Amino acid sequence: MGNDRYDVIIVGAGPAGSSAAQLCAENNLSVALIEKGEFPGSKNMFGGAIYSETTATIVPTFWEEAPLERPITEEKIWFMEPNSVVEVGFTGYDFAKSPYNSFTVIRSRFDRWFADKAVQKGAHLLTSTLVENLVYEKLGLTGKKVSGVRLEDGSEIYSEVVILAEGGWANLAEKAGLRDNINSKMLTIYIKELLALPQGVIEARFNLEKNEGCSIGMVSYPTAGAIGKGGIWTNRDTISLAVGGFLDQFNQKGLNIYQLLYRLKGHPKVKRLIEGAETVQYMYHQIPRGSYDNIPRLYDDGILVTGDAANLISGRHGTEIAMLSGMYAAETVIHAKAKGDFSKKTLAAYGNKLENTFFVDNMKVRKKSKIFYQKHTDSDFLISQLANEVAKVFFTEGFRTEQENINNMLKEVENIQPLSKTLSDLYQAVWHWRVL
Amino acid sequence: MGNFIKTNQNPLKYVRIKVADHSHIYLRDKQRCQRECENKPCTYFCPTRVYSWSGEDREIKVAYQRCVECGACPWGCPYDNISWSFPPGGYGVHYEL
Ligand SMILES: Cc1cc2nc3c(=O)[nH]c(=O)nc-3n(C[C@H](O)[C@H](O)[C@H](O)COP(=O)(O)OP(=O)(O)OC[C@H]3O[C@@H](n4cnc5c(N)ncnc54)[C@H](O)[C@@H]3O)c2cc1C
Ligand code: SF4
Ligand code: SF4
Repeated sequence: MGNDRYDVIIVGAGPAGSSAAQLCAENNLSVALIEKGEFPGSKNMFGGAIYSETTATIVPTFWEEAPLERPITEEKIWFMEPNSVVEVGFTGYDFAKSPYNSFTVIRSRFDRWFADKAVQKGAHLLTSTLVENLVYEKLGLTGKKVSGVRLEDGSEIYSEVVILAEGGWANLAEKAGLRDNINSKMLTIYIKELLALPQGVIEARFNLEKNEGCSIGMVSYPTAGAIGKGGIWTNRDTISLAVGGFLDQFNQKGLNIYQLLYRLKGHPKVKRLIEGAETVQYMYHQIPRGSYDNIPRLYDDGILVTGDAANLISGRHGTEIAMLSGMYAAETVIHAKAKGDFSKKTLAAYGNKLENTFFVDNMKVRKKSKIFYQKHTDSDFLISQLANEVAKVFFTEGFRTEQENINNMLKEVENIQPLSKTLSDLYQAVWHWRVL
Repeated sequence: MGNFIKTNQNPLKYVRIKVADHSHIYLRDKQRCQRECENKPCTYFCPTRVYSWSGEDREIKVAYQRCVECGACPWGCPYDNISWSFPPGGYGVHYEL
């Protein structure tokens, strides 16, 4: 490897890195894609689902070849109390056919396939290889420019430019001074259990046809008082059950995610979905919870930061944004190569491209929601409790007049909190439920 | 939530970890855990119980072999007392599925 000099080195073969690698390789740049896992995806987990539209911008009609689980036709949110659930949902049967909307996937399979697309286009993939640091060269009289990476064995690989796609830990971005210190208030940690069931049983329990899938977001009960979320996704012959939330909250409340998962599995509504299922795997991962303020500097001389490493997360659109930012980074690098200039002046085009995207706009809006949740840590719980109490009165039959029923409901509402706060909480919860 | 896992289920039973021969985790100042850190959150935020308080030795023991790289460590310790880096390339947690 020693003397090779690549046009671009990409650190991390997740969705961000492999998107960038595919585009660069396609445009005849020499690419090294470096991954610390035994194979791309072997270190990665998410809920989860990928969105069709974005993935198709990188690999058109990917659904004909990618290892996908099920197209999602049913999306639900459950507001959960210990013994009741209010469900909100949408079913779209059009989502079961091309061009689809989203698919459940298992990352060890998907990421592996996605990185292989880059290899087919000419990228060099190095696996089981940990990048420890960046290497610099002089730029002008006083400046310096990133010119490669140092591996754990001390060897160095050189390039014109490095794209960081290293995920939420972002060690290298931090070392490069491109990311401020983050803290436990900005970090969520998640556990997921993969539970095996025969396909037919999954379809019967979730009311699905063969080529349909379901995702359920779970609010309130799963996190036992901490801000966070739970989720269920149906794969082909497994169910993903995930729960997690903000690390600082778990610390304050003495919670542990493994225990939360165990508790969630005992909830009557969850229990019957996973009855008799066999545990296949536990998985763990973090999500940095950025808002617009926490996006690091995205580029410098000879370096660009993409995906989770750049805190580019907006609602549940992590992989999608990772792919898009990888794509914009690649476009910028291709342009820089044509110009023969990899200084930050040229790479600034990347920042401009991102500024104009829907997700950075969303992140500006979501800045408010982060503040909202920090101020009202109890809002998810109040909303859930309220929805359940009111629904219970509504659906409880008895010898009461309509007016009595309405009065009872109002009483429930006011028992929990004053009406004006309730309305604003409800509005905020519906508006922001996708945030976490 | 009281003491750790009360159930018989073992969070590590269904995880494959290729253990490296040296630790990727160390404590910067073991004294600090004893003297300053009352709640010792590392003993509960870590999902696989890498950290445990040894009453006998009056120090935190680190079983790095159990680490599933959840990402809590570098930010979970209120005293920034945990130095955590990735296990070597190809080592550590490994998801096949
Ligand atoms: C529980 C959970 C649920 C989620 N659900 C969804 C969902 O449903 N839909 C969705 O779109 N998103 C979801 N996300 C978010 C999504 O997973 C991320 O946003 C996405 O994976 C980010 O992609 P990335 O390429 O930036 O980083 P990653 O996917 O984290 O990839 C980074 C890669 O870099 C490698 N690496 C890191 N450092 C080095 C180094 N120094 N040397 C070599 N290799 C290195 C890693 O091993 C890894 O393979 C979820 C996340 C979690 C944790
Ligand atoms: S949380 Fe940090 S300071 Fe406290 S016991 Fe654990 S390692 Fe020591
Ligand atoms: S990274 Fe997670 S699993 Fe590993 S020691 Fe830290 S808390 Fe435990």
